[in-house]
Amino acid sequence: MKEDQKNFLLFAVLAAIILIGGQLIASRFAPANPPVTKIEGGKTKVVPNPGADPTADTAGAIRDRRQVLAEAPRVEIDTPTLKGSINLKGPRIDDLVLVQYKETIARDSAPIRLFSPSGTQDAYFAGFGWAGNGLQPPSADTVWRASGTALTPSTPITLDAANATGQRFRIQIAVDEDYLFTVRQTVLNAGQQPVQVASYGLVNRAAKSKDVDGWTVQVGPMAVENNSANYDINWTDVDKEPQRFSATTGWLGFTDKYWLTAMIPEQGHSFDGQFRTTPRQGYQADFSGAPVALAPGKAVTQTTRLFAGAKEVALLDRYTDKQGLTMLDYGIDWGWFRIVEKPIFYYLDWLFRLTTNFGVAIILLTITIRLLLFPIAQKQFASMAKMRVLQPKMKALQEKYKDDKARQQQEIMKLYKEEKANPLAGCLPTLLQIPIMYALYKVLLLTIEMRHQPFVAWIKDLSAPDPLTPLNLFGLLNFTPPHMIAIGVVPILLGISMYFQFKLNPQPMDEAQKQVFAILPWVLMFVMAPFAVGLQVYWITSNTLTILQQRILYARHPQLKVAAAK
Amino acid sequence: MIARLLIGVARFWQRYPSVVLPPSCRYQPSCSAYAITAVERYGAAKGGWLAIKRIARCHPFGGHGPDPVP
Repeated sequence: MKEDQKNFLLFAVLAAIILIGGQLIASRFAPANPPVTKIEGGKTKVVPNPGADPTADTAGAIRDRRQVLAEAPRVEIDTPTLKGSINLKGPRIDDLVLVQYKETIARDSAPIRLFSPSGTQDAYFAGFGWAGNGLQPPSADTVWRASGTALTPSTPITLDAANATGQRFRIQIAVDEDYLFTVRQTVLNAGQQPVQVASYGLVNRAAKSKDVDGWTVQVGPMAVENNSANYDINWTDVDKEPQRFSATTGWLGFTDKYWLTAMIPEQGHSFDGQFRTTPRQGYQADFSGAPVALAPGKAVTQTTRLFAGAKEVALLDRYTDKQGLTMLDYGIDWGWFRIVEKPIFYYLDWLFRLTTNFGVAIILLTITIRLLLFPIAQKQFASMAKMRVLQPKMKALQEKYKDDKARQQQEIMKLYKEEKANPLAGCLPTLLQIPIMYALYKVLLLTIEMRHQPFVAWIKDLSAPDPLTPLNLFGLLNFTPPHMIAIGVVPILLGISMYFQFKLNPQPMDEAQKQVFAILPWVLMFVMAPFAVGLQVYWITSNTLTILQQRILYARHPQLKVAAAK
Repeated sequence: MIARLLIGVARFWQRYPSVVLPPSCRYQPSCSAYAITAVERYGAAKGGWLAIKRIARCHPFGGHGPDPVP
């Protein structure tokens, strides 16, 4: 008994450490999405997104975007997915809004702004140019002549500039229906001397991403160098010194959790990429191609692709496979577990299109997994039924070797072998649950398809924690309880379902273990509370199905029910 | 190095998650004890492979009973 009490105390301390420390560690290494709604006075309110786009100025040096946009001549960008404009001074793509995604789940929310001109709040833009011996490329202040007033998927735009020596420069920009720009840079050497031409592209952002960079999801600089994705460059590495690499295939840029800006040089041609800081505490990712010698009278064209938009899984896969953009699908940081995560994602996405509700899709996914595992449970029950018959022999063995535990264990094992029965499931069924759970966690955390997806009633975003908590009487009292104890209704349901599921397990003999089992559901309830509701929905469904399965199997083997009741 | 890490993982499993999970061992010794012995005896590569094979057969359709490290 003394030993039991010690064990129990140890467990209580461990539980407390897991509860408090776990949440601290989890917020760093396994981030969950922040809540998008809170419930006040019985009404769901939308929490402002900290990354949301303010309409007014903040700091002194930062100017109003509308004013800056009006200062230079511009060509409009207008596609089903993008709105914005190209700055003819530069030229730069520095005004881009993703019309299909909103800052918050409010109906009147502003769309996500990806690019913003230099000198405005959260400036972020892409630019193109040339360098080379003997070349006199247009300066950054040059205003380019445009062939039209709007860039659409069916009408590419051509920009022209020339200098006094007779070198002519042309940038042709095309865009598809999604998020890919194709930029063709042409230099015509109409001068008398041969020159060297190296095209470059850059992505510049004035501030770090507002998304948290964690162990399970890369946010910040990101590159694919030849055939390997590099998630190891962080803001702090760039702060220390420029990060450089050379490659013939790949790309580089910046990634937020859901958005990506990637410069993709011509694949198969060598280029030098680098990440560095800018004088104004910003960051820049740029590449320059290998210089090409250009004889008088000759022209050279270099093609760069720019991905600027939402990291939709199927879209990135399509660009990678069909357009030959090397490993652009690695822009989503699935991690080493992608081989399991992606099939789960695609199946879930298919279920979603079938049912139009991601919550229902998660439930159907759970049912599928359970059905696949059902034969295991069934086999399990069949051998448990057999065990019933062996019960008297077992008792006799336990009596015979009650002073020698090891021997007793051995004899029981021998009995199992002789009778070809084993009541225990083995560790594989338990271990199988872990990868499925982790895959679903990552899918909910990082795929944009799960972002802002409602389930039922008050659950407006399955990828965020439950905002409805009984601690302030479901939002009727006007106060916000401390984050750690403010667990939502769904996690409480999870705790309850877990409690009942645990009750189905055979009662452990050990007293300390019994106590552990009594408390564990409630500890896990707190641990799981900060995670995505979708994950909790998965777990609740899984528990409910386990309970159901148990009932079905008990009905098939009635003699077991008697045994369980004893 | 890797061998030590693997043994550490197995020890951690024995010490924490395994304690709170319902007893499930079909084999003697348990998967974790098997893994530790296997890695100690054959090193990380072969020992680890033996351990994986052992876990892979530790389910209701697999065998059971005494199954020591070869």
